[in-house]
Amino acid sequence: MASHFVTSADIPADGERLHNATASKVKMIAGGVCALLTLVSLVLLFVAPESVRAPFAYSWLFAFFFFFTLTIGGIFWTLLHNVSNSGWGTAVRRVMENLGSIYPFMFLFAIPLLCPAVQQYLYEWMTTHREGLSQENVGLFDGALLGFYGSDSLKHWFEEHHHALLYNKAWYMNLFAWYVRVVFYFVAMTLVIRGLRKLSVAQDTDPNPGTKRLFQARFHSTYTFILFAITITFAAFDLLMGLDFKWFSTMWGVYLFAGSALNSMAVIIITVTLLQHAGYMKKVVTPEHFHIKGKLLLAFTIFWAYIAFSQFFLIWYANITEETSYFLIRNTGGWNTANIFLVFGHFVVPFVILLQAWLKKSPKLLSLMAVYTLVMHVVDHYLIVIPERSVSLMNILPEQFGHVTTAVPGAFWGDLLAFAAIGSGFVFFFLRALGSNNLYPNRDPRLLESANVSN
Amino acid sequence: MSTTRKRVYGYLAEFKSASALYKAAEKVRDAGFRKWDCHSPYPIHGLDGAMGIKRSILPWFVFFGGATGLATGFFLAFITQVKIYPTVVQAKPANIFTVPAFFPPMFELTILFSGFTVLFGLLALMKLPRLNHPLFASRQFHRATDDAFFIAIEARDPKFSPDGTRSLLEEIGGSNIELIEEED
Repeated sequence: MASHFVTSADIPADGERLHNATASKVKMIAGGVCALLTLVSLVLLFVAPESVRAPFAYSWLFAFFFFFTLTIGGIFWTLLHNVSNSGWGTAVRRVMENLGSIYPFMFLFAIPLLCPAVQQYLYEWMTTHREGLSQENVGLFDGALLGFYGSDSLKHWFEEHHHALLYNKAWYMNLFAWYVRVVFYFVAMTLVIRGLRKLSVAQDTDPNPGTKRLFQARFHSTYTFILFAITITFAAFDLLMGLDFKWFSTMWGVYLFAGSALNSMAVIIITVTLLQHAGYMKKVVTPEHFHIKGKLLLAFTIFWAYIAFSQFFLIWYANITEETSYFLIRNTGGWNTANIFLVFGHFVVPFVILLQAWLKKSPKLLSLMAVYTLVMHVVDHYLIVIPERSVSLMNILPEQFGHVTTAVPGAFWGDLLAFAAIGSGFVFFFLRALGSNNLYPNRDPRLLESANVSN
Repeated sequence: MSTTRKRVYGYLAEFKSASALYKAAEKVRDAGFRKWDCHSPYPIHGLDGAMGIKRSILPWFVFFGGATGLATGFFLAFITQVKIYPTVVQAKPANIFTVPAFFPPMFELTILFSGFTVLFGLLALMKLPRLNHPLFASRQFHRATDDAFFIAIEARDPKFSPDGTRSLLEEIGGSNIELIEEED
């Protein structure tokens, strides 16, 4: 319980802005490190010898999708806040919006994944498609529906060369549709988060702030929530499930979503704790907010476990060859240890710790748990992308990778490099967004309700 | 004239509003009383803090109730499906690695045992069900479920005194102060 009731006299009329020497220093360093490491990464992705290029493509995908889930999670929390008419979260809404506003910049890091030179190591189905398309009389556009769903002549080529699965999946898995979808993921969610953030920021300086923008944000968050669900689901299908075109799981989209919502909440918790530590948001964010955010962290820890186990359970039970390949690869050698570690590290331990209410009310302890959760998210995403690397490269480049077993030796350093490159970019764009406007919506009609929340 | 013996239960005082009740509760808390309670027609946020109530022990009961359910689910499945009568389905192992198949009953029994612990633990901690309560002797007390806010201080509290407690309740804004007696 707050010591006294927060009134509008406690809220600065022009809000609080981030003017912090440490923050701007970190931003500068992160920006510089990102530029440098991205340059090195581009060399490793396109110029380096094939024995480096091929494993590094996986490193880049792993790092990209890890931070992609964090930023799209920021959009999720913004949308959920608006659409659920939430009062408690108004004080921390701007942090959610700022986290989501990194999303458009993630496209910069996605560009390498759009290049055939990188795709050839990641997505075998694309290589086969390109081989088919390079034949005579095979055109990308000469099929039904203006060729959008694959061309007839390409399908004939698949038939002749016994690519039955690719033939059947061509209506979804074809290059044209893949590019259209990936561009859609970025354009749609960019428009959504930009629009919502603009609406929110405009309120900060409005001399007559009313409820109009609040209701507008709520209305526009409804149908765009559907776009969000489509984006996270199919981005997970196209970028991660496509690593092995034979494999499929209908839980895949929601599995990635569970990790995304969980860990972006972890980022929000850490951000608010650091901002309060630096002397900001003291009036509007109380232990009650941390309690609520901690509860959401606990809820999504359970949700992640529920989804992850359901996916494993159905595949394990049904025992169908196409489906089990995913877990067979990840239950071989050291990956098995990591997977069992994930069961305890990602679920059992944080579940038991986060059950305690007093801990969730302590910003410091909750932030420690949030950092721990993020570390587990790294392990989770490492296990999603990296085990596929040695299996695929053995088949694609048998002369160079025929000898590898469960892991490509030395490729780990590439994973670290890619993670640091995109991670420093994430920090840079996040701090840039945090500094570009007020830290909380100081003229929102629900701000006092949020500041005095009790649960 | 009645010949039944009566015992003093305590004082009942009415307060005008939820905020008056809240402020009065803080003063009763600060005066050091332990055996007392607030009665309001609806829940008041933060009143537990104003009354100085410690966190309930119930969550711990529930945690161990749930853990018991988890263990019950595991051993129920493990002993019957692996130890006593090994059931081989689709050539899957009948040993500790069958544990994913046991997760659904383990999950369900965790929920069930937790739920039972919540219900029966709560009833036990509140000493419910009971047939009567001394406060029901008051003629004004039924308004506690309608439009009135009350504080009741029990006589078995060591700080209780017939005059001191009455004047305290008057001081903090209580009206319609009533001495409640229960039949022995």
